[in-house]
Amino acid sequence: MTSRVMQDFNLLLPETVPEALGLLASHKDKATILAGGTDLLVALKFDYAIDNVISLALISGLDELAFDPLLGLTIGAKVTIADIVKSEEVKQHYPALWQSAVIFATPQLRNTATVVGNILRASPAGDCSLALYALGGKVTLESTSGRRDVYLDDFWLSYGVTARQDDELAIAVTVPPPGQGQKSAFRRMTRVTEDLSKINAAVCLQMDGNKCVAARVAMGCVGPTLVRLINVEKSLEGEEITTDLLQAISDTVASDINPIDDIRSSAEYRLKVAGVLVKRVINLALNGGSDQ
Amino acid sequence: MKKHAITLTVNGEERDLIVPSNRTLLDALRDDLGFTDTKYGCGTGECGACTVLVDGTTSINGCLTLAATMDGRSITTAAGLARDGDLHPVQQAFIDNDAIQCGFCTPGMVLKTISILDENPNPSEAEIRQGLEGSICRCTGYTKIVEAVQDASNRLSGLGE
Repeated sequence: MTSRVMQDFNLLLPETVPEALGLLASHKDKATILAGGTDLLVALKFDYAIDNVISLALISGLDELAFDPLLGLTIGAKVTIADIVKSEEVKQHYPALWQSAVIFATPQLRNTATVVGNILRASPAGDCSLALYALGGKVTLESTSGRRDVYLDDFWLSYGVTARQDDELAIAVTVPPPGQGQKSAFRRMTRVTEDLSKINAAVCLQMDGNKCVAARVAMGCVGPTLVRLINVEKSLEGEEITTDLLQAISDTVASDINPIDDIRSSAEYRLKVAGVLVKRVINLALNGGSDQ
Repeated sequence: MKKHAITLTVNGEERDLIVPSNRTLLDALRDDLGFTDTKYGCGTGECGACTVLVDGTTSINGCLTLAATMDGRSITTAAGLARDGDLHPVQQAFIDNDAIQCGFCTPGMVLKTISILDENPNPSEAEIRQGLEGSICRCTGYTKIVEAVQDASNRLSGLGE
C-alpha cells in the first residue's frame, strides 16, 4: 500500500462538555466526534470526509469507570478498552465485558480505542458492544436541550447507523448491577487474534441454581447489526440447563440469524458454527471462566 | 485548514510546533521533528511500526493519533532510550539475540517490549507473544524477538549477564 493522506478538516478541541454540546448544536451533520480515533482516523485516510472533527481529548470528567453494587457500572466516553482490561471489578462482576476487552484488537489499539466509540461505530462485529448488549447496557446521550438514555436494544438502527442525533454526545454507557445469580460470558472466532470477529456471541443468564430464570443471548456478524437470539432466550428461560437442552438450543440458533458471505467468512460456515458457539458461550458463563 | 500550536515533550525535551488539524503524531515526529526512528508501516494501526510510548510506558500507534490532541503530553521514541552513550538493556538484548533482520519493526518492538516488561517484569512466553500482538515482523518469525524479550526481562530484573 502507498502512503495514505488524511482528508482535510478543522479539528475543534472543546475543554468542557457544554462547550462540546454547543459545537455539536451549531455544526450538526457537518461535524463528527473524535474519542480514541482508531476507527475514525482510518476512515478519514480512506473515503470518509467531514468538515469538522470535535475531539474529546481536552475534556476532563468523561474518563470515569465506576462500579456501584446498587447502580451498576458506568463507563464514561473516554474510558479505553485497556481501562476495562485493568478493572478487577469488571472482571469479577461482568465477565462477558472483560472477556470481550482482553481479546480486543491489539495492545496499542486497546490503549486508545474507547468502549463508547465501539458502540457508536455500530458495527455488526463489535466485541465490547456485543458483551454490553447481552448485559443490558444503555447509552446516555446529551445535547443542549437535555439528556436521554437509550437501551442498546434500540440503539443500532442499521449498519453504521445509531439512534444518536447529530447534536447529541454519547457521554457514557451504563450497565445494570449484576443480579445474585448472574452469569455472563463472551466468545468469538477469528482467523488470527488481530482480526475482527468472523462470528461472536455473548450471553447473560440469571440463574437460580441450575434453573435459568432469564436470559439475554446476543450474536454478531450474522446480520446488519448485532442481534438478540430471541428463540434461544425463550428456550432457556424457566428451564434447567442440561446437555440435552443445550444441544436442542444449538440446533435452533440458525433460525435466529441471517448471515452473509464477506471477506472474513461465509454464510454457510457461520450458520454451521453459530449453534456450537452459543453452546460453548453458555458453558463458559456457567463454568465461570473455563469453557471446558 | 485550522492550525494548532502545541508543545510535545519528546524523549525528555520540550518541542514547540505548529501542526495542521490532520497531522498525525507519526508525521509530526518524523517530518516536523526528525524522529525518523518511528516508522510508517500500514498507516491503519495494524502493524505497530509507528508505536511510541505516551506519558511513561503506554504504547500507542502514532499513525492513528492526531498531533494536535497531544498538546502537553510526553512521548518516548526508540531514539530516546539510550543513556550516556549506552543502549537501553532492551535494545542491547535485541542486538545480542539477533532479533533484528531488516530492522523496520525494531523500534516499535523495542518500545512495546519496554511496555510489556513495565506491566509484567517476568512474562511467560505466552504473555510475551500476547503483548507483542499489534507489532508485526515480516522477517524473523518472532522466535528471536521472543528470546530477546526474555533476555531483556532477565537483564532488567538483575538476573542476566
